[in-house]
Amino acid sequence: MITDGVEDEDKWLAAGNAGLQQNAFYMHRALDSNNLRDALKYSAQMLSELRTSKLSPQKYYQLYMRAFDELRKLEMFFKEEARRGCSIIDLYELVQHAGNILPRLYLLCTVGSVYIKSKEAPAKDVLKDLVEMCRGIQHPVRGLFLRSYLSQVSRDKLPDIGSEYEGDADTVNDAVEFVLQNFTEMNKLWVRMQHQVGLNIYGLLPALMCYNACESFILLADPELRLAVGVSGLQGPAREKDKREKERSELRDLVGKNLHVLSQIEGVDLDMYKETVLPRVLEQVVNCKDEIAQYYLMDCIIQVFPDEYHLQTLEILLDAFPQLQPSVDIKTVLARLMERLSNYAASSAEVLPEFLQVEAFAKLNNAIGKVIEAQVDMPVFGAVTLYSSLLTFILHVHPERLDYADQVLGACVKKLSSDGRIEDSKATKQIVALLSAPLEKYNDIVTVLKLSNYPRMMEYLDNETNKVMATVIIQSIMKNNTQVSTADKVESLFELIKGLIKDLDGTLHDEIDEDDFKEEQNSVARLIQMLHNDDPEEMFKVICTVRKHILTGGPKRLPFTIPPLVFSSLKLVRQLQGPDENPFGEESTTPKKIFQHLNQTIETLYGVPSPELALRLYLQCAEAANDCDLEPVAYEFFTQAYILYEEEISDSRAQVTAIHLIIGTLQRMHVFGVENRDTLTHKATGYSAKLLKKPDQCRAVYACSHLFWVDDQDNMKDGERVLLCLKRALRIANAAQQMSNAARGSTGSVALFVEILNKYLYFFEKGNPQITVATIQSLIELITTEMQSDSNTPDPAADAFLASTLRYIQFQKQKGGAVGEKYEPIKA
Amino acid sequence: MASRRRMLLKVIILGDSGVGKTSLMNQYVNRKFSNQYKATIGADFLTKEVQFEDRLFTLQIWDTAGQERFQSLGVAFYRGADCCVLVYDVNVMKSFDNLNNWREEFLIQASPSDPENFPFVVLGNKIDVDGGNSRVVSEKKAKAWCASKGNIPYFETSAKEGFNVEAAFQCIAKNALKNEPEEEVYLPDTIDVGGGQQQRSSGCEC
Repeated sequence: MITDGVEDEDKWLAAGNAGLQQNAFYMHRALDSNNLRDALKYSAQMLSELRTSKLSPQKYYQLYMRAFDELRKLEMFFKEEARRGCSIIDLYELVQHAGNILPRLYLLCTVGSVYIKSKEAPAKDVLKDLVEMCRGIQHPVRGLFLRSYLSQVSRDKLPDIGSEYEGDADTVNDAVEFVLQNFTEMNKLWVRMQHQVGLNIYGLLPALMCYNACESFILLADPELRLAVGVSGLQGPAREKDKREKERSELRDLVGKNLHVLSQIEGVDLDMYKETVLPRVLEQVVNCKDEIAQYYLMDCIIQVFPDEYHLQTLEILLDAFPQLQPSVDIKTVLARLMERLSNYAASSAEVLPEFLQVEAFAKLNNAIGKVIEAQVDMPVFGAVTLYSSLLTFILHVHPERLDYADQVLGACVKKLSSDGRIEDSKATKQIVALLSAPLEKYNDIVTVLKLSNYPRMMEYLDNETNKVMATVIIQSIMKNNTQVSTADKVESLFELIKGLIKDLDGTLHDEIDEDDFKEEQNSVARLIQMLHNDDPEEMFKVICTVRKHILTGGPKRLPFTIPPLVFSSLKLVRQLQGPDENPFGEESTTPKKIFQHLNQTIETLYGVPSPELALRLYLQCAEAANDCDLEPVAYEFFTQAYILYEEEISDSRAQVTAIHLIIGTLQRMHVFGVENRDTLTHKATGYSAKLLKKPDQCRAVYACSHLFWVDDQDNMKDGERVLLCLKRALRIANAAQQMSNAARGSTGSVALFVEILNKYLYFFEKGNPQITVATIQSLIELITTEMQSDSNTPDPAADAFLASTLRYIQFQKQKGGAVGEKYEPIKA
Repeated sequence: MASRRRMLLKVIILGDSGVGKTSLMNQYVNRKFSNQYKATIGADFLTKEVQFEDRLFTLQIWDTAGQERFQSLGVAFYRGADCCVLVYDVNVMKSFDNLNNWREEFLIQASPSDPENFPFVVLGNKIDVDGGNSRVVSEKKAKAWCASKGNIPYFETSAKEGFNVEAAFQCIAKNALKNEPEEEVYLPDTIDVGGGQQQRSSGCEC
């Protein structure tokens, strides 16, 4: 009797199909020869195949569908019979002579369908009779399919409004009553399956069930009998339970379909739905006390009936939830309800007043509160899902009610606070969804910052997720180009994204992927650049706020965050330099004040340590101070840069880079008086000459020549010192050449000489009186000799460089005019 | 026998949730339309008598649940279908993209003897929405797909306004009629006139 194994089942199904086909064959013959007696006989035999208990619901359904198709042919035959004058009432009586109850009832339903169509009796009477008769089958699977058959054949014959079967009065009521009754019976059958223990019941029960099944089955509710049945079927109770629940799950649509039929009945208007349909359905759902049925049917109600109805009956619907079994997954059902309503709200602005009118939010909020309160064991994930759905609902229906949104977040925080930090990944995901929803809706962090509970919510995320969320926030700001422009808002924003700003407790550095970290910090840097306010006072406050936060970031973050802050400050400085300078009073923001801040800000990079970056930033500041005509400030910045150069930058390459930066910046400074300038240039040339490698020395020294000859500054044209620098460079180049010769037995490249030659030409053209035709001439000769010397290593690049330099001289000559004249004497 | 069989034409409507399968059927059979969305559970059919070439046929139109969780019993009802109608919403790209899945799923499950030539009809529904401004699937694109699947007839419909629904179902009926029925020919081993009352079942007597 144990019916495990798909193979066995397939065999039984095949046998069933074969039996069915055989009888169908004879039935067809009978139909073709208009032999009613045989038609009934063979159809009853055919339907006997449906009496099997060996098939799982899905297999049974296959068998059922074959029988169903055959019955359509029989139905047509009945119609023809009726047309030929056979009394349909007689037919209705006649089919009841079938020996077995199941075939009898299938035949009865089939004739019943024709009976209604013939209109010889009111539809409602026939339907009532049929739905009552079907009580004869109390075996759940067979009963469910039989009633499903009844539901299907009566589907287009319900006496609803506008239907041709519409009766005199209360006609929709009759239709509804019929479907509700069928639904109730089906649900009872379906729920009862849960309480049948073991398959042996099929062997035990027939004796009890037949004919008076209805009454005998009441016995099952007797705990003693249930126990007795249970004892015989206890093998693998867990497996049995799984199997049973799977079967029930397969059968669920047969029950749910009744609700679909109800929703399709013309004339079930809001009133009727509210007064009759919904209360009756809910009554059945609540009273059946079955977890599977309750979960599924609540979902069905939500899906099959229209949104308008749900809104207008929200209270009734929601009141049912706390009455469900504690194990029912209410959160999913409620979340689906809210999702539906949210979509409805989003579909058209016209429906929104409806939501307000019924106070949908208050009701949902209240219901969720109750559910969470009642279900103490609900996992965090569940609660967050509920709040998340409610928040989505608010964003769709009441986008302007930030207080509602905040209220929901607050409630969520309260729930979370009792559970501590969330470790559950599903819950975390939900929280991210919850927190992302307002961002997506408003596309504006400023609005979201008004939600006081938003940051509190973020507290409950683990560090990793906190960072993810912070990144989402920054991305939203980037995408929407949101202006976060006051210090207060910046304060809240940085509080919100602090996961990226500083180390949260318990983060270990070695856990962090280097690339991810860079990416994160770069996004913070971009964010800092975006903060802006046209009012310098406020902007300064913004900068101070940002500074306060980023200084907590530690050595790894500062190199990313300090530069944007510095540039943001310098932008403000430039803004202040505008035409109406210093419109501020004593206390107000002045460039000087900003520079003081900058000085301190950059100083923090010492601890990183990141001297090269600090040096660059000092030079940037010095240049900005130069533009503001603040000599002492600019001097101070240079001093800082020099100290760094002397004390912190020891790598020779870094020194080369730094010295060129220093020379370049210094060259552009015009704010310095003679004394200060001398000090600084003197130092710079000194550093240049002390670089480690000769070629580096040489290049730095000739670069220094520019410090003494500034094009648009007449007081800074010191030809002699330019020449001194160039001569010094030449000496160094020479030394380099010799050293190279000594060390490797060949001269190095003559490129340095050519470079110096170009400098000579530059200053020659600029009119430096110290640079004469003779000096250039001798330099060219020197280079040519060098190149022809045997020990010279051929260097195509240097050759080409020289050639093009000479071509240049040629070119200038040909230009004619003043330039041509100047160049004319040079022989190349 | 065969003639009786041929009086009934079975049509299955498939497509994503919310594309308007139920609405199309209701518009065609009852000439009614409701804007309200109501999910369908399981499978459900309505019938309609159609006149064709002076003969009367009964069209058995099966409306199905687009949401998988409301299709718990499987798709045994595909069996014996004469035509399959694939519906998508011209305003929802995903519903169009899924047509292929629906078609293949149908061919696998219904396993018609000649899948290449099994009649399908594609309906692009909801062309009325927003005056066509929210449309994302062009007629050209839909027709190209239909052409690539063996010239499936294509109709643009509006269940709401009843546009093209009648024409579409005319075509559906015509194609269903063209489909050669697969009569599983049953040949009895012996003519057992006495009736094949079999006692395989050990169930109860009901």
